[in-house]
Amino acid sequence: MGTFIAIVLAAVLTNNFITAKTYGICPFLGVSKKTSSAAGMGIAVTLVMVLATLVTYPIYTYVMVPLKIEFLEIIFFIFIIASLVQMLEKIIQKVSPTLYGAMGIYLPLITTNCAVLGVTELLIGDMSAILGTASMNIGWAVIYSLFAGLGFTLVMIIMSGMREKLNYYKTPKALSGFPIAMVTACFICMAFYVFSLISI
Amino acid sequence: MNLLEITNQTWISVGIVAGIFAGSAILIGALILIVGKVFKVNVDEKISKILENLAGANCGGCGCSGCSGFADKLAKGGASLNDCHVTSPEKKAEIAKLLGIELKDEERTVAVVHCMGGIENCEDKFVYKGNPTCAANNSLLGGSKACSFACLGCGDCKAVCPENAIEVTGRLAQVDPDRCISCGACITTCPKNIIDRIPATAPVFVACSSTCRAKDVMSVCKVGCIGCTKCAKSCPHGAITMKDNLPVFDYTKCTGCLTCVNVCPRHIIISRKVTAEETPENNAVEEKAKEKTE
Repeated sequence: MGTFIAIVLAAVLTNNFITAKTYGICPFLGVSKKTSSAAGMGIAVTLVMVLATLVTYPIYTYVMVPLKIEFLEIIFFIFIIASLVQMLEKIIQKVSPTLYGAMGIYLPLITTNCAVLGVTELLIGDMSAILGTASMNIGWAVIYSLFAGLGFTLVMIIMSGMREKLNYYKTPKALSGFPIAMVTACFICMAFYVFSLISI
Repeated sequence: MNLLEITNQTWISVGIVAGIFAGSAILIGALILIVGKVFKVNVDEKISKILENLAGANCGGCGCSGCSGFADKLAKGGASLNDCHVTSPEKKAEIAKLLGIELKDEERTVAVVHCMGGIENCEDKFVYKGNPTCAANNSLLGGSKACSFACLGCGDCKAVCPENAIEVTGRLAQVDPDRCISCGACITTCPKNIIDRIPATAPVFVACSSTCRAKDVMSVCKVGCIGCTKCAKSCPHGAITMKDNLPVFDYTKCTGCLTCVNVCPRHIIISRKVTAEETPENNAVEEKAKEKTE
């Protein structure tokens, strides 16, 4: 239970993918103008993160480590994730057109999203700081990636809410539009910095 | 097992790595192909053909998410071609042929602002110094205008108009009927919902949206409709009915006799003929109206 709480806290707050690790900045700044699209993007990223972990983690541990080809991890993971998303898009389109209408447009955008690649890379690395005495296995990996995705969604929704609200305020002409979004992003990251002081 | 220790010659290890990649690429490629075959979705060719014929403005005036959403709805029969005001009649006829339906002749429509309460006619109830958009102004106590149905004049409609057909003069938005393509962008944007479509040939329209009682209108606006029903009573063709203290025109019955324009004590039934072509007759009417107000 302690490990579970540690993983949730780390993935959502202290090591949040956007605010602490600065992964996935492109959707963070690009798709955060409307809350509905930000939420759709966040959920799509979460889904792909979990599926990517489910596929890459076993491949790494049971195929790449025994064959001693770990040095190919990045290029292999990009390979796998990109094709996985391609297949996922087709499957969703067939199985659930409604779901496809809601998040189908975001799937091609995250074929090789750095947040997705980041979580798979992170999970095969040294996680002892978060896991403590427990050893890494596929279960913890999936839980970590799920909550990393939810943390990503959380920050996306906060950002889009603030950007929607910003439309109602006067901003200096030089700052209006994208620059003020960067300033907003800075303040969100500073707010999340407080969580990094939590020692697990 | 270490794949790269099969040989100690560097170039062979490079070959092995390349082989691994080629193998996995073929494997993944085959997998994608199989998934693609199994989960093939039969996209309706009709939809893509309809989409080709639509204007592609993605204005959202039809209430769908862009032109592709509208095409989808059309193919399923959930929408009428007349919902789109941007596509040209020739293209619409082609779509009608694709769908196997008959295209009903539809008159060109234009948007009009149902308000005359500029700064001269309708006072501000407070000084608004916030962000100069109608949406922001409206979110604060329903806007700074004394009349809660008045044009706020911040120009949100002007900002969204793709054809630059809207002018804001004296804090009052007005649509240029010659430029208006009736896309509906301003209609959905206006926080006061006072912009609406009328047929392009309509001779008159009422320039007020206030559903308040006469006394309340009189206290805030010099030209607001007081719901006196004079126009409805005097119309020789029975084209005007009263609804919520406002006259409603039935443009199929209206002949453009301008009786209503002459009897309106508030001069807010606007003759669109005056703006189009200034006939001496109408000028006389206007002058008479001026004298009265003076």
